[in-house]
Amino acid sequence: MENPLIVSAQGLRKSYGSHIAVDGLNFEIQRGATFGLLGPNGAGKTTTISMLVGLLHPDEGSVIVGDGSSKSNGTAGNPVDDSVRRLIGVAPQSLSLYDELTAKENLEFFGQLYGLSGGRLRERVQWSLAFAELEDRQKDRLSTFSGGMKRRMNIAVAMIHEPEILLLDEPTVGVDPQSRNHIFESIQRLQKEGLTILYTTHYMEEAQRLCDSVAIMDHGKLLALDSVPRLIAQHGGCSVVTCELGRLPEQVELPGQLDGTLLRFESDRPLEKVAELSGQGVQFRTLSISQPDLESVFLSLTGRSLRD
Amino acid sequence: MNRIVKMAIKDLRLLARDRMGAFFILGFPILMGLFFGLVMGGSNSGEGRAKMQVAIVDNDNSDMSRKFIESLKANESIAVSMEELESARESVRKGKRVAMMVLDEGFGESAGVLWGQPPTIKLGVDPSRSAEAAMLQGFIMESIGQLVGERFQDPDLMRNFIDKSRQELADNQSISSTNRMLMQAFFGSLEQMTENIGALQTQSDDSSQAPNAGKGIQFANIESLDVSRAVDPDSTAGQIAKLNSKWDISFPQAMIWGVLGCVAGFAISIAKERTQGTMTRLRVAPVSKFEIIAGKALACFITVVLVIVTLTVLGVLLGMQPKSYPLLVLAAISVSVCFVGIMMFLSVIGTTEQAVGGSGWAINMVMAMLGGGMIPVMFMPAFMKSLSNLSPVKWGILSLEGAIWREFSFAEMVMPCLILIGVGIIGMSIGTLIFRRTDA
Repeated sequence: MENPLIVSAQGLRKSYGSHIAVDGLNFEIQRGATFGLLGPNGAGKTTTISMLVGLLHPDEGSVIVGDGSSKSNGTAGNPVDDSVRRLIGVAPQSLSLYDELTAKENLEFFGQLYGLSGGRLRERVQWSLAFAELEDRQKDRLSTFSGGMKRRMNIAVAMIHEPEILLLDEPTVGVDPQSRNHIFESIQRLQKEGLTILYTTHYMEEAQRLCDSVAIMDHGKLLALDSVPRLIAQHGGCSVVTCELGRLPEQVELPGQLDGTLLRFESDRPLEKVAELSGQGVQFRTLSISQPDLESVFLSLTGRSLRD
Repeated sequence: MNRIVKMAIKDLRLLARDRMGAFFILGFPILMGLFFGLVMGGSNSGEGRAKMQVAIVDNDNSDMSRKFIESLKANESIAVSMEELESARESVRKGKRVAMMVLDEGFGESAGVLWGQPPTIKLGVDPSRSAEAAMLQGFIMESIGQLVGERFQDPDLMRNFIDKSRQELADNQSISSTNRMLMQAFFGSLEQMTENIGALQTQSDDSSQAPNAGKGIQFANIESLDVSRAVDPDSTAGQIAKLNSKWDISFPQAMIWGVLGCVAGFAISIAKERTQGTMTRLRVAPVSKFEIIAGKALACFITVVLVIVTLTVLGVLLGMQPKSYPLLVLAAISVSVCFVGIMMFLSVIGTTEQAVGGSGWAINMVMAMLGGGMIPVMFMPAFMKSLSNLSPVKWGILSLEGAIWREFSFAEMVMPCLILIGVGIIGMSIGTLIFRRTDA
């Protein structure tokens, strides 16, 4: 049995003057899923998130957050409503924290805005500090933190009120590999606990690693939406084999163009093709097989690279 | 309301940790208040002056009047200059001298005598230096007291005086025989005492006397001499005449500078919330835009009140004497409402810290220049005084001064306070309206 839908966006449209930022966006997210919103800068991701959290009113379409279950405190509706907003935790792309407050003070302040107080507030503050692995720095001002520590705090603050849905907007921008791994591990922990996550990024490897399903956006439109393997299967094309040949018998028919001793060809069954060539007496000095990924999918869908 | 208070507390905490911001809100105004108070304070008190400048008109020209003047000259707190009557009066009126003193003819005859009519000294003191009048009267009595000692220590002087008094007694037929006998006996005793003093003086080289002999005894009648001119109470001179301390002008100005610091600081903090992204987090929380802006307004209001209270306490410690504390509270609240409104307006005229900070301080400076934040309005030319009515700073300073030294009645306080509150409400309305329409 499928999990119920916890986010439903139907026909979302938002424009600024003549510029259409989001154009007829439809998607749904199931409870407990990790949903990736992938696209280059200016694709409309942040506008979409702003509409999902009630910061912006769509010109057309609707957003429903919550499934009305007891887990959502019986709440489902427009995120403009305070009760619906309490279901959402947001970690904006910019570090939205007070540098001159300590880690603990930041958590306490935002927790109080969500109505937490007393023992419950203390409990959530400690949980959040442990989540960010910053218990020993709780009394230090954020101005003394590294970029990676601030990113972890950014997510911890979003989790302070124990939301049902966590929106992570480019959570790994500008962090070192160690902190990035730490953030991935934290997100994977939340996934195991059944939290619904909406993850925006322009790093395909992150989306591939973390997301159950991915929506690819460009110029405000939804180009494709499916699970990662299906997207690759449908739009990623074939694997690319690149090899340098040592010995090449004359009668062998090559599957691609030979440039000197360098052979490059595409195949949906690359290993079988390499084995076949080897059986025909072809000797490989080097061999490289590139499988299609979301970058290939984006290239296939838009005709340009995601990082262009 | 709870969330508004929480946000205000957060802003106050951030302000307390922003050392530069706190300096411009409190430290800088205190320095300004002290500096301008010291610069302007010379004309209102004797503090810092080496000597009290006193003009003396000696119409008696006797030995005793000269001794009296010498005694005053010996006082380290007084600088004596001999002048003619009109010259002395003008010098006091123009503030060149603190006081003038007139010794009329006959002063020397009765000065230092313990019986009969004491000598009369006419004393005119600059009305704005009234604090020094009592001190000067004390010095006069001290010098007259020394004349008493002079008479007793100079047997010839005393003997001549006793002979003269005996002659007057003999010539006066209206005195009864009993009184005449008593007076003769008294003069006899006095003569004997004078002889003994003379004998003692020849036996001892120690002729020193207690410098404060006669202190505390009324040895002279001090008549008040009018040195004041009819002053228009609305004129600059009339207003200055109401000043009680040198801090009366500088501290209301300092309070306004502190308030302007708050306005700029909080307007910038709203812009900073936008640029650093915390505004986004506030807005995705279950908090209304009104609560966000009200939290800022509350924090700004509290800070403005704290600035005014702190500077009032400091001013009082230095000698400022507010005439009415209830009216000062009214002024403080009106000023706070006004400048919170201005802060909210300034916070929405730009989107970045630089834009808000630059335009905010530019507007503050113009308001301060026009409104008497730099040069008091009373010293401005007429056209500038008219222009100053456009600046909320003028009404802020006026309301504070009204409570501190202008002796405003409640009715007089109503207009500046209503103008301040009106400006505040307009500023809050425009600021809130634009903020609510803006998608941060």
